[in-house]
Amino acid sequence: MTRTYEEIVTLVRDTLVLAGSTFREDKKEAYRRAITAERNEKARWVLEQILENAEVAGRELSPLCDDTGIPHLVLEVGEDCALTGKMLDAIREGVAEGLRLLPGRPMGIMGDDRERIDQSGGLNPDSAGVEPAPILLRRCSENVIRLHILMFGGGPAIRAKTYRVFHKHDTQVVLDEIVNWACEAVGQLGCSPCTLGVGVGRSHFEAASMMLEAFAEGRYDEQSEMEQEITRRVNESNIGPLGLRGDTSVIATFMKVGPQRASGVRIVCVRPSCCFEPRIAAVELS
Amino acid sequence: MIELTTPISEEDAAKLQVGDTVELSGYILCGRDAVLPRVIKMIEEGTIDDLGVDLRGQVIFHTAVSPAGVGPTSSNKLEIESSIAPLSKAGIRLHLGKGRLKQETIAALEQYNAVYAVIPPVTALLGSKTSEEKVIAFPELGMEALHLIKVDKYPAIIGAAHGRSIYDQDI
Repeated sequence: MTRTYEEIVTLVRDTLVLAGSTFREDKKEAYRRAITAERNEKARWVLEQILENAEVAGRELSPLCDDTGIPHLVLEVGEDCALTGKMLDAIREGVAEGLRLLPGRPMGIMGDDRERIDQSGGLNPDSAGVEPAPILLRRCSENVIRLHILMFGGGPAIRAKTYRVFHKHDTQVVLDEIVNWACEAVGQLGCSPCTLGVGVGRSHFEAASMMLEAFAEGRYDEQSEMEQEITRRVNESNIGPLGLRGDTSVIATFMKVGPQRASGVRIVCVRPSCCFEPRIAAVELS
Repeated sequence: MIELTTPISEEDAAKLQVGDTVELSGYILCGRDAVLPRVIKMIEEGTIDDLGVDLRGQVIFHTAVSPAGVGPTSSNKLEIESSIAPLSKAGIRLHLGKGRLKQETIAALEQYNAVYAVIPPVTALLGSKTSEEKVIAFPELGMEALHLIKVDKYPAIIGAAHGRSIYDQDI
């Protein structure tokens, strides 16, 4: 089915609002399990507050967090689907309309290159002044064009890390390093419990792309053996919700391992997404 | 659950202990990285009365105020944490934010009978508990200007009081 420009704008707008305001059911269920299992009273109180916040935000379609995030887009294209420049324009316009509707925090910085670095160009008062990150494009098996919208906040970006790991021909070495990075990052974040995004690739670009794909594909009720190990080991650190100690530092881990090269090094990206992330929703545009 | 209403009295501030769960109501100030150094400068220059707000017994919430709502930013950012001691000396009794503070900041809180409370970043929930907002000073900073908002039962946990920190002990 071919959709009109206006239809795509509307679909993208509404999907962005959903991403910024709702917990998927598998995430709500993960929080309920965590509340039941948490032994620390204060930690349990924080988890209950986070879940109640999600209920209010979902009901009112209002922001989960005042840092409404930077839109990150993953676009999947099926076998017979044609992606046009006009469609990309409609997606961009839909993102802008979604940011105004949510409403997104007006935190886009104006000015030239130098002014945007030191913030001297001032804030754009329009929520839509927050431009999306470059689109990640990938093939999908279904014959559709599907857009995933993820809203990435500033705190996790500060604590995320992409760097090389010498694997010594032992996967456990890489897992140990991921756990070390994650413990440090979750401890510093302040907005735990986290959902960890992990990408393993051959370059920084590829590792970060794998991390983004991991969030697009990840589910709280389907965890691989490596994902479960990372979650369990970080939770043993007793950081807890908001860093107040407890059993629940990480709700889940989403990990994607890309193609690797014949080399002693792996490039690893770890993003400690905050208690509300990944703020994500998807829509079929064809 | 301890209910606190601004202005917070010296007696009520002194009773607060690390780990206490509180509900905060009344008018509170909001400011973060950009504006707090300017407020400190007003205190140093003796012009703080120009704000038109009595700081004694007040609360400062480390947040921006935007159409997206409010939510705590990290209180251990340089400009924010360095404001805690002078603002406490000027009368602020509760600093609301998130994250671990330095020991010297915790000592300053004790010195001036002030406390630090951690508030979950629950923007939607806080929106349902916020009824008024206005800019008090430095409007050119936009969402980072000094704001005054009216709140009803904001949830928080006392994170530092009487020289102790919630981050350094089991609760």
